[in-house]
Amino acid sequence: MNESTLTASSMQTAHSAKRVFRPGRMILRLILYILSLFIIFGPISSLLLWSFAEKWYWPNILPTDWGLLYWQKVMDGKMLQSLNYSFVIAIIVTLSSILLTVPIAYMLARFKIPAKSLLLLIFLLPQAFPQLPVFTNAMVLMYRWDLVGTLTGVVLTHLVGALVFSVWTLVSVFQSIAPAYEEAAVMLGASRLRSFFTIALPLAFPGIAAASLLVFLYSLDEFTGSLLIGAPFITTMPIYMYNAAMGYEMQVASVTALLLMIPGILLLVLLDRFMKSEYLSAFGRV
Amino acid sequence: METSRTLRPLSRSTSLAWLAGAAMAAPAVAIVGVLFIYPFFHSLIASFQNKSGNWTLENYSFIFSMYVRDMLFTVWVSLLSLVILLVLTVLLAGYLRLHHSSWIEFMFKIPLFVPFVVVGHAVRVFLAPHGTLNSALVFLTGNWFNPDQMPSIAFSTAGLVAALVWKNLAFSLLLVLGAFRGINNGYLEASRNFGAGTIWQIVDIMIPMSKGAIGVASVLMFTSMIGNFSIPAMLGNSGGNQVLMMDLYYQIVYQNNYGAANAIGVISYLVSMGAAIYYLRTVSRA
Repeated sequence: MNESTLTASSMQTAHSAKRVFRPGRMILRLILYILSLFIIFGPISSLLLWSFAEKWYWPNILPTDWGLLYWQKVMDGKMLQSLNYSFVIAIIVTLSSILLTVPIAYMLARFKIPAKSLLLLIFLLPQAFPQLPVFTNAMVLMYRWDLVGTLTGVVLTHLVGALVFSVWTLVSVFQSIAPAYEEAAVMLGASRLRSFFTIALPLAFPGIAAASLLVFLYSLDEFTGSLLIGAPFITTMPIYMYNAAMGYEMQVASVTALLLMIPGILLLVLLDRFMKSEYLSAFGRV
Repeated sequence: METSRTLRPLSRSTSLAWLAGAAMAAPAVAIVGVLFIYPFFHSLIASFQNKSGNWTLENYSFIFSMYVRDMLFTVWVSLLSLVILLVLTVLLAGYLRLHHSSWIEFMFKIPLFVPFVVVGHAVRVFLAPHGTLNSALVFLTGNWFNPDQMPSIAFSTAGLVAALVWKNLAFSLLLVLGAFRGINNGYLEASRNFGAGTIWQIVDIMIPMSKGAIGVASVLMFTSMIGNFSIPAMLGNSGGNQVLMMDLYYQIVYQNNYGAANAIGVISYLVSMGAAIYYLRTVSRA
């Protein structure tokens, strides 16, 4: 994979060295740029407009009164509490799913273990089947254990989906690290445990960062489980936003939506280099 | 003790490793097992039971009398979104494979980091009858365009399809682009020497050589669209056909009819499984 991308990029530079002016290609590129701007930022810009609109009646093209009123309103109210819940839950989910899945992913990637494909299948199911019907049944279980409406309950439901992302990403991360380094270390007398901690784990760090990122965003975004299990006490941001939108509080919902987007965009910019498409292309094909 | 130790160090260490491995795998497997696999089978069984726990098919006859149109609608919406998504993705990925543009690639990665609920809300605000898109069109065409005479997009099939395509763009682009980047340049250069343009390189070389990745992407997208709940929930509808997940939620929250809800759930499993079987039969062999 790496080799071919390398040759692709070196070819790219060779290509641009003898650049010829071709108006057709320029126009195509321009159209693509404008189209991608429109497709990606069209819906997002509507959120921005709505969040700063204090009054906006049809048929005015832009809001008639602009202001920060709804930002302030949202910051004072219950929104801060759901912001808090969302982040606490996302952090707990990320840490626990990484702790839970690094060993199992390493095992799956390195050792011939029995029922390997069954194990991998187990971790594919929550992504392969609709979650709502399953979570409604899990909700009945959680009622029995008094977990509905608790932080633990929501964390557990988020973990179900989060584990899928982190297992599959981490398996392909560990598979992409050549076992020769660890074999050499074991040959020189290191224990398997030591070779794991001093060689495999540091080499896997970018991949682990990518997996944590995926899991964190998954948890922040999770709607179905939070709606069923969290209600009525744990209102995460998506649920808060859903309630606002259903009550036609467009501004409140838009402000919440923008706040929900910030961590994702930030992480996208900061960790762009960690998000290799190679990690994702292994999904479902190990 | 001493003799057994010197005689069978290997088997002892392997059984220890066995135990350690099982212990490492156990918590993650337990969470998915208890909170996904058990409820999954529970919903299967409960769909054949009435409220007093007797075996019956009445849940199925009930949902088939109520929701046949919604079942077809769900499949139709998912298939339509999938086709649009695949055409867009393949064209974009093909273009990016040949003409490197980190800017366009970055733009289309954004939807991956925008939460589902936010996408639902943004598309709703963007495409609503008096939404941002129509306002912009009125402005650009100088009041010639009258949205009140147009069918509403946001609360119809088109709104749902637009939101589903928008959200899944990034993920499918990552998967397909990963596969396209893995194609050796030699093939593409050879076809260019025979005069193939961008489109023919995509159709004749890239697509056939990445059938597997495109197949996986399609199955993953399709099942996630069938099971998606947050986007239709955010978009709402204007009283026409509904997605099955909304019917399921309605049965639980407003009717408290878990039997019917589980039967709807089983139908959605069957559709997802159909996609998975198709994948196993055709794609994984290709």
